[in-house]
Amino acid sequence: MRLGSLRAGLRKRAGAGAEVEAREWRGSVVLEGRARDWRSKVELGWYAAGFGYKGVVNDLEVEGLAPERPEAPGRPAGASLEGESFDVAVVGGGVVGCAIARELARWKVSVILLEKECDVAVHTSSRNDGMIHDGFAAKPGTLKARYNVEGNRLWGPLARELGIEFSRPGSLVLYDSRAAAALYPVMAARAAENRVEGWEFWGRGRVRAEEPGAPDSQRGGFFLPSAGVLSPYRATVALAECAAANGVRVSLETAVLGFDTEDARITRVRTNRGAFRAGAVVNAAGNWADHVAGYANDRFFSLHQRRGVDLVLDSRAGALQRHILAMPDLFQLHAKTKGGGLVVTTEGNVLVGPTAAEAPGREDYATSQAEMRELERHFRVNKLLSPSMVITYFAGVRPCTYEEDFVVERSDYVRNLVHAAGIQSPGLASAPAIAADVARSAIGILAERARVEPNPSFRAGRRAPVDPRRLSWEERAELVERRPDCGRIVCRCEEVSEGEVRDALRGLVPAASLDAVKRRTRAGAGRCHGGFCTPRVMEIIADEAGIPLPEVTKKGPGSPVALGRTKEAGRA
Amino acid sequence: MGETKSFVCVLCPRGCALEVDIGAPGPAPVRGNACPRGAEYGRLEAIDPRRSLTTTVATAFPGRPRLPVKSSGGIPLARLVEAARGLDSVLVDRPLRRGEVVAANLLGLGIDIVATDDLAAEELGDAMHGAGRAGEGA
Amino acid sequence: MLERLDRDVAVIGGGPAGLAAARAAASAGARVLVVEREERLGGILKQCVHEGFGLERFGEALAGPEYAAREAESALAAGAEARPGSFVARASREGGLFLLRCLRRGGAYELRARALVLATGCRERTDRQVLVQGDRPAGVLTAGLAQYLVNVQGLLPARRAVILGSGDIGLIMARRLTLEGAEVEGVYEIKAEPSGLSRNVRQCLEDFGIPLRLSTTVTAVHGKGRVAGVTLASVDQRGAPIRGSEREVECDGLVLSVGLIPENELAASLGLELDGLTRGPRADQSGACLAEGLYCCGNALHVNDLADYVSESGEAAGRAAAAYARGGPARRELLPVKAGSGVLYAVPQFLDLAAAGRGQVEAGARIYFRSNATLREGARLVLKAEGSGEVLLERSYRALRPPEMERVELELGRVPEGASALCLEISRKERGDGRD
Repeated sequence: MRLGSLRAGLRKRAGAGAEVEAREWRGSVVLEGRARDWRSKVELGWYAAGFGYKGVVNDLEVEGLAPERPEAPGRPAGASLEGESFDVAVVGGGVVGCAIARELARWKVSVILLEKECDVAVHTSSRNDGMIHDGFAAKPGTLKARYNVEGNRLWGPLARELGIEFSRPGSLVLYDSRAAAALYPVMAARAAENRVEGWEFWGRGRVRAEEPGAPDSQRGGFFLPSAGVLSPYRATVALAECAAANGVRVSLETAVLGFDTEDARITRVRTNRGAFRAGAVVNAAGNWADHVAGYANDRFFSLHQRRGVDLVLDSRAGALQRHILAMPDLFQLHAKTKGGGLVVTTEGNVLVGPTAAEAPGREDYATSQAEMRELERHFRVNKLLSPSMVITYFAGVRPCTYEEDFVVERSDYVRNLVHAAGIQSPGLASAPAIAADVARSAIGILAERARVEPNPSFRAGRRAPVDPRRLSWEERAELVERRPDCGRIVCRCEEVSEGEVRDALRGLVPAASLDAVKRRTRAGAGRCHGGFCTPRVMEIIADEAGIPLPEVTKKGPGSPVALGRTKEAGRA
Repeated sequence: MGETKSFVCVLCPRGCALEVDIGAPGPAPVRGNACPRGAEYGRLEAIDPRRSLTTTVATAFPGRPRLPVKSSGGIPLARLVEAARGLDSVLVDRPLRRGEVVAANLLGLGIDIVATDDLAAEELGDAMHGAGRAGEGA
Repeated sequence: MLERLDRDVAVIGGGPAGLAAARAAASAGARVLVVEREERLGGILKQCVHEGFGLERFGEALAGPEYAAREAESALAAGAEARPGSFVARASREGGLFLLRCLRRGGAYELRARALVLATGCRERTDRQVLVQGDRPAGVLTAGLAQYLVNVQGLLPARRAVILGSGDIGLIMARRLTLEGAEVEGVYEIKAEPSGLSRNVRQCLEDFGIPLRLSTTVTAVHGKGRVAGVTLASVDQRGAPIRGSEREVECDGLVLSVGLIPENELAASLGLELDGLTRGPRADQSGACLAEGLYCCGNALHVNDLADYVSESGEAAGRAAAAYARGGPARRELLPVKAGSGVLYAVPQFLDLAAAGRGQVEAGARIYFRSNATLREGARLVLKAEGSGEVLLERSYRALRPPEMERVELELGRVPEGASALCLEISRKERGDGRD
């Protein structure tokens, strides 16, 4: 009945030349055949999601687009995992995986965090605007709504424990139409339903007083004070380091290749560093989470990718705006994202964006001129900002299910697998709340076989790296006496010292490349974009790692900054 | 009759567009030059173009791995890259002053390679780690 | 504990501008300290190992390090002191003095000075500021960074490079990479004419058979770990890529020479407003900014194409700063200098007519300018006094191009009473004007 009408609807929507079949599998629905194009494939997936199945597995083929497979990694240098054994293996070193690993460390269990890249926070967790959403925009009743609001509350204390900057500038949603006032009761109802607290309506005058750059066309706005910002990559690194300090083994350049299963249990995790035994497995594999689920024959959902591009403005822009600003068109209210805006980062840059466009490419971060043009419209929201302040831009990819909600649950079919998948926006805001639930599930799995004790020596904090810019001049002078290398500034735009770079290279989850150093210290993230500091940071990396300069990379294996030495030919 | 070669004078930023008639007997006439040096340059450039070579050579000192050098005179343009390659194996392992010869009679052209910067004894350590190696008291 | 230093004149930046300022100030009897970020004096010239510096100043073509070493030696010989390896974390005013809070390895210190000379140089515009799209692999770098890697560290940033932008540094890097063992696929310039000096097109590209393609730009970079290629496109007259003209080129590096931006974050932190055209503070003929005791020179004031001019502006600023430090504030009589038709910009933005009377500064004022278009067939410059309309100076040029900065000198005594401003205008030379 349900399947029949889905099939009929799919055929109608698939268009000429397409062949679409649907079948039920373990409560989910699987789409097979051929779609007209990528857009059509995604739309058919969304359509199928409206039929109340557990999940949509969209295996439609699109001509000219081969299904994506993760790159086959080589055998990296460093420790083998062959024959080892862990209570829990967490797959994925993004903010969600790292937060889960840290939560698991509250228990006396052995945990390994597996990340295929040479650092944590390489993909979606370093490619977003760092906003800790208030939770207003999420659809009521969804996991997104619940975890967002919970996560937003948790980030305050968590950021303090981790020693990372976190502020709540609040989000101000402006309207340029009088008609918007009619929506206020609807908005109030939504806020109440999602349990978002403290919201206010601001009149035109209040907006003008608070945000001198707001456009003359604004007719007031809706203010949500709980919206915050933090550095998403610093937060992820901090979570990973805290986990590591509590005994979690963080294994970088470690890609999961498959699972061995027996009696609907994962017995061994196969990786490029060898196979090991795991009592429970957590799937926090970001844009590859459906693949990883498939390794356990539990692919009951599939992911599509929604690109987001942000412009980064010079750090002097931060003084020109106090709140997170957006001015959505009214017709966007029901779109799948809030449409982007202007976010002041903890470092004082303003991020313009993000865009939201369905496109294949789980790790395709190439930007286009069209995306730059699309973002220009946001400049109208703060007239003190201008496109001439752009210092760089970046793309990220949101992992989205067709239900457009998170998947946070213990597997129905694999008894020791927990999924934290489809964590698109507001995933950063939600991460601490998701982590708490997922860790509870994983511990629950272990507890079915043996008693699990709390870890009495768990430390919620970590030794945060020195951040000289947050010190007074006198404190800074003292620091430099104690740590002479904190007096040698290597990155002049962001005022980063050699000492901070060395700390990043010596951390519990050590940076090993220019980008990894940039994520931790901001060396190279300023207006000259590494023009001056690159050689200095390279020298420090080479010195710490004991490698020759030509082996220093931008972002891990295969990305050397230099291709050998000059006049190499004659030097034997 | 001879032919006319035209090129830009590289002696100074003015960059005069020179025209030189070659092939005719006697000193080749040069047009377009704003100064006498330009005329001289033009005549030579038309028949035997030469360039001074500037590059760097390796040193034995980690804090200053390269020493800038230049040729003491013009090297035939056609042999410039070859001349640079000829310095690949040079290694400076002592302090010196700019102007000192680093390699003599390059490619048998009678041209020396001289330092264009100083390598002072006191800075030849590892510049980055000279005083107070990082990390103490961390 | 915290070291405290007092000087008459503090100079931030130990490149050619700062060194010349320090020497001039010290020669005038001031106690001078140069605060330099790097371990050695000389600024960017240390990595400019090619020849051609100092033709005006020394009458010979020096390599960059030679020029820098001479300037450093003469500044120190004149009695100036320098602290390399020092970074100015904060600059402020305290009482009648400037207070610089400086960091260096192993110690922080405070420097108080009566006069402050900003000689902070410039930085390079990056691929992101010219909106190059695509992937972001290793191997995309500015020409100045490439120059540092090659000439200071002995590293090859690419084996087969595409160069975007025909600014002088890009042209010089094309030659440098070729000499050091790499291949340069080509130099691409978005404009219809080269941005660098003609002689550099000749001796850096033509000498080595490196193609220069005008009205072409790089629209995207490709490659995951390392650059694998770029997309080129022809551009229309407004510089916009022409649809359908895209083509792919294989390379393992993209080197950019797409412009320089004066570094004036310290100037801005001291409340100076920047000129929208030059992106440096507005100043008079001695580099004196609109705030008392504050001077700016060299590439921080506006981007020069000759080190000789940079040194010259440093000298003027150093002399004036020393005079200020000794004599305190003096009455200034500022007359605006305007860039009129045909002029891209003119520096200084003001002439201080009272300077001549004080006898601290030469009676002549140098005015630097660039034309806003290429005038190949000859050009005429006129400097007029607004108000009276009197022509104070007239000059003919065989050619003027925006990349080639020119300079004229004006006797301050020639400025008529009642002039409200001076205005430079450039026109195409009419037939029969004759050669200069």
